[in-house]
Amino acid sequence: MKKVEKDVAEAYFRTRTLLIIVFLSIGFLVSFGVAAFAEFFSQFKFLGVEFHYYMGSQGAVIVFILCLFLNAILSDRIDKKYGIDETANTAISNRKTSEE
Amino acid sequence: MDSQMLVSLGLILATFALYIGISVYNKAKATSDFYVASRGIPPLWNGMAIGGDWMSAASFIGMAGTLMALGYDGLAYIMGWTGGYLLLTFLLAPQLRKYGRFTVPEFIGDRFLSNTARLIAAIATVIISFTYIIGQLSGSGVVIGRLFNIPAMYGTMIGVVIIAIYATLGGMKGVTWTQVAQYLILIIAYIIPIIFMSLQVTQNPLPWLTYGTVVDEIGQIDQELGLSEYFAPFAESDKSQFIALLFTLMVGTSALPHVIVRFFTVSTMKAARWSGAFALLFIGVLYLSAPAYAAFSRFILMTQVAGSPMDELPGWTQSWINTGLLETADQNGDGILQWTELSVGEDIVVMATPEIANLGMFVIGLVAAGAMAAALSTAGGLLITISSSFAHDIYYRLLKPDATDAKRLRAGRIAIVLSTVIAGLVALDPPGVITQIVAWAFALAGGTFFPVLFLGIWWKRMNTQGAIAGMLIGLASTLTYIFLAMNGIMLFGIQDTGAGLIGVPINFLACVLVSKNTPAPPQHLQDDVIDLRYPEQMTYKDGEVWMNDGTGN
Repeated sequence: MKKVEKDVAEAYFRTRTLLIIVFLSIGFLVSFGVAAFAEFFSQFKFLGVEFHYYMGSQGAVIVFILCLFLNAILSDRIDKKYGIDETANTAISNRKTSEE
Repeated sequence: MDSQMLVSLGLILATFALYIGISVYNKAKATSDFYVASRGIPPLWNGMAIGGDWMSAASFIGMAGTLMALGYDGLAYIMGWTGGYLLLTFLLAPQLRKYGRFTVPEFIGDRFLSNTARLIAAIATVIISFTYIIGQLSGSGVVIGRLFNIPAMYGTMIGVVIIAIYATLGGMKGVTWTQVAQYLILIIAYIIPIIFMSLQVTQNPLPWLTYGTVVDEIGQIDQELGLSEYFAPFAESDKSQFIALLFTLMVGTSALPHVIVRFFTVSTMKAARWSGAFALLFIGVLYLSAPAYAAFSRFILMTQVAGSPMDELPGWTQSWINTGLLETADQNGDGILQWTELSVGEDIVVMATPEIANLGMFVIGLVAAGAMAAALSTAGGLLITISSSFAHDIYYRLLKPDATDAKRLRAGRIAIVLSTVIAGLVALDPPGVITQIVAWAFALAGGTFFPVLFLGIWWKRMNTQGAIAGMLIGLASTLTYIFLAMNGIMLFGIQDTGAGLIGVPINFLACVLVSKNTPAPPQHLQDDVIDLRYPEQMTYKDGEVWMNDGTGN
């Protein structure tokens, strides 16, 4: 076991929290945001249909999927930067499970 | 027996044989296999299994019909059911995985160190899963009813028997790989008809790009008929109801016990993030297709069926009238069926459209098999959740801590059979259309669990009293609002399906107020909460974070 400096541990948690806030805000804007101002967005057209309808039927879903994959990729990079090793994670996780 | 019935039945039986084959091959031997498949499933396959588990009769059979009936207002279902995975993957799933318990009631019981909280959570899990399963059974009733030309009620009875036998056969391991197979079958069955319809209507095989123009044309026909345009926002309900429904479905999705339990089958927090991403990708394929399905169905009905003489209606109309879900009445007596004289039950749109568009026997049979896959896969996952809440959380953890594996398995199987039969009885006369029944389950899941799970993970000050108060008050206020709204008493125009917007904030408030006014939880529980901020390799202990680099303690 090696002690992690307090500010390093804090920085890790802050970075991860920032990611969560950014991606959830994007998700909120494309769904609730567009729905709240649907009348306004209906004056634009995209792929042959009114923009508010497009966002509800395709746009929001595509943005959600992109957010999840981007988060998975960025989180892996952050873990790597802080020296986290996935094989060690798996081993620890398995040991914890079999102890119960 | 006509040839269509033979083809449909043949395809359904062939796919059933496949699922049972996989299930028997992986037959569960020990309890840990029965519940979480030994936690070794790679994210891509786990994501696909989550997709199969997730996409229920409501998604497959109900959603396109709801979209067709509601137009833009139905899109709350699309955004809500997909957006929930965002909340789940960011806020709950990885952290719950690190905490390392088998079920949601087990997490709540251990995090708050209280058997009362565990019991309330187990009972709420059973209530939520039970509500959800009623929707699945009434979905299988629609499919089987059409197949044998009988009222949907008798179809439901047959479906109950099939689902009960099926779910008692295997556990989660069997279910995981079976759900992968079910995902593949249901997604193929959903996409083939819309590709054919897209070719028929627009001569382009990519429905996702072409249906926008069809939506626009439907709007023009609506305008000529003097109806509100299909894509017009908030034509069927208030904006407040749209937002409330969207919120209910999103928050409910992230707090559904049978979905959360899937994230205990991965190995680490990282694997939980990737599982969530793959799950939404696979689920998205169907959800991006549903609005296209709805648009093409409505277009074909409006342009090809409406306007034909009453005595020359195509053969499929009679079979659907027999199920009691389609009505045609020549109200103005001119001998011609108008669009406004055609009453299409929302739940038959997906099943009937391939017949309406004349896509051939094989495609019609495939859709029937896909619909059964959707109903079965979700019912299977729900029954496992009900059985584990009962056998693991109530029977083993509370009543008989010394029960053997065999006894716990038997208790679980009894719970499965009992809940299927009772849900089947309720589904004989469904209290609403499929998507509506299912929306209640989401309101209950969000209203009971979301604030308690969220605060339990992120707020170390959250204590036992807060959790118990939150769950009880949240569940009670959500149930009360659903019943009030069904009887016409509504706040801000929010209907029964949007009850989550009432229940979730009340639950949050109860959790925070009660926790603040009662003693803080013991230090080791608070440390556990901070520990969830870091990956498995980092541990929080006595105010310091430790990195496990393999050098021992």
